[in-house]
Amino acid sequence: MGVAILLVMAAGVGLMLTRRLPTAFALVLLAVVIAFLAGAPLTGENSVLDTVLQEGAPALAATMIAIILGSWLGKLLDETGIAGTLVRKIVEFGGDRPTVVALGVLAVSALVGTVTGSAPAAMLAGIIGIPAMIAVGVPKVTAAGTVLMGIAVGIPFELPVWQFFSTALELPIPTVRGFMVKLFPFALVAALAFVLVETRRRGTEHAWSLKSLDSSGSSGAKSRSRRAELGDAPWYALLAPAVPLVLALGFELAIIPSLLAGVLYALVTTTRPGAMNKRLLRTLYGGFEVAAPPIVLFVAIGILLAAVKLPGAVDALEPLVKAVSPQNPVLFVLVFTLLVPLCLYRGPLNVFGLGAGIAGVLIATGIYPAAAVLGMTTSYNQVFGVADPTSTQTVWSAQYAGVTPQQVMVRTLPYVWAVALGGLCVTAASHL
Amino acid sequence: MTADELTSGARELIASAALDDIGDVDDIEWAVRLLAVTPTHEGRDPRLLRAWACRADEFGSRLAPVPSTALVVERDDGLERMLLARYTSRPPTVELYTDTLALAEELVDARGWRAWYPAGSVRAAALAHEAAHAHLHHGPAKAALKQALGHTVLRLGRHRVAGHVAGAEEVAAHAYARTVCGLRRSPLLLTAALRTALPRPGREN
Repeated sequence: MGVAILLVMAAGVGLMLTRRLPTAFALVLLAVVIAFLAGAPLTGENSVLDTVLQEGAPALAATMIAIILGSWLGKLLDETGIAGTLVRKIVEFGGDRPTVVALGVLAVSALVGTVTGSAPAAMLAGIIGIPAMIAVGVPKVTAAGTVLMGIAVGIPFELPVWQFFSTALELPIPTVRGFMVKLFPFALVAALAFVLVETRRRGTEHAWSLKSLDSSGSSGAKSRSRRAELGDAPWYALLAPAVPLVLALGFELAIIPSLLAGVLYALVTTTRPGAMNKRLLRTLYGGFEVAAPPIVLFVAIGILLAAVKLPGAVDALEPLVKAVSPQNPVLFVLVFTLLVPLCLYRGPLNVFGLGAGIAGVLIATGIYPAAAVLGMTTSYNQVFGVADPTSTQTVWSAQYAGVTPQQVMVRTLPYVWAVALGGLCVTAASHL
Repeated sequence: MTADELTSGARELIASAALDDIGDVDDIEWAVRLLAVTPTHEGRDPRLLRAWACRADEFGSRLAPVPSTALVVERDDGLERMLLARYTSRPPTVELYTDTLALAEELVDARGWRAWYPAGSVRAAALAHEAAHAHLHHGPAKAALKQALGHTVLRLGRHRVAGHVAGAEEVAAHAYARTVCGLRRSPLLLTAALRTALPRPGREN
């Protein structure tokens, strides 16, 4: 039966890879089929309807709330001009040196990446940051890669991600935070190396482009109208993205109140009292729109996790997974580092896809301690978040810069692969 | 899409009465428009943009002729990439996109702008434009341009920090090309005309 479940999982990967089914739909379908194969009854205890669908769907509810709050704060950073002002100041102060501008955009990307990862973060930092880098001579692939590597620096401190791993792997927040703090230096060093090495290798680039007189589209028009009305955000408002991070990391405050504090800080430092209600509601509703795709994914992941944790599924998969899972720390690092490409192109180790199910299997069958699975999945998440040509932030950044996602993948993959290696080494040393 | 196909498309557009006469827009106004659509200038006062455009244009037109040591490479995929020329510093190389250059020459004839842009001058302007970028990139001229623009980003007592103005270098490079190639109008007008003839967006790299 275990082999049948693995074959179903492989078919699910095929459906996702060939885009025959959206990832979320494929995961739910997989979960239902796995549950039936595991011998789960239709209703009652450990059943398809009650356990997998009813209890699985809201299992990651805390993550979904964190995602909504992060998206809300992201919308506020956009509407109040905080993100745009940060990039403009960087260009004004460091525009003579493209490397300095790229490092500045990297820092802004990291900051907004801690608030709201994925495509919203790429847009927040990239809408002005990518063309600004190109305008000062940073080559297009490097510009897109800089934003993505910056977001990856922020991912270890992205509070909704903490909540996700905590709930999905049933680990306390301090455990997740502890590993993320160890993962952060690898992400930071890789990102700095990317900017310094790539800007040196590729030099600068100035093009006589036929598009140099094109306007920047609707988002640019929106930004222009807001700034024409209010001007740049004040300097103290620029600290807004750091507020949730300082509270959650420095003061160990819970995630949701930390994010709410960030929302309030961004609001009061940029908005007149009379306009606060309107802006809060508008950005909150806008945040829901941004949060919709990841929330749908988290509903599906919760359902899949419930299915792979059914007793029948655990019993069927345990001997198979045990046979192929290395217990030796060196072998663990070697094997899982070589498997890194399997988290690309919606592959089976993508933690926001079937990878979550595999992580669930590894924990439920007791093959690795939950903390080791955390190390493995977060290491893969660093790769997926930057280099996967099918992930929304990579597609958006590449296309906005005028290059292909594959070009960005080729350039960034060596750096994020090294981050995964670092994360796996820490995991093996700490938990195996 | 081939250059011939695009050229015939351009001819149709040029012949259509829907085209406004972009030749009536003066060179400084084109420079202002370039700065206005450059990121980081959203919401800037148009008078400030005009002042910067004037200073960058003047700086470029006063720049002494600079020799270019960059390798010149010809390519024929400029229309697809929406590029006329490109300078890359490592190694110093100027790419000339021959299909875009050919279309530009045809546009000059079709619009009756030959007095402004003599035969063969577009290629010369492209080389001069990229030579200016190389000069600004490698030498002290970039700092001189920043000082000429006079954009203060920080003032501490008597001390002031001059800020970078994104897009000013591009305006200066066009002004330099216009001057050293003896053009009567800025290459920016040609850029606008080419863009009008190629309405479909393309990938640049």
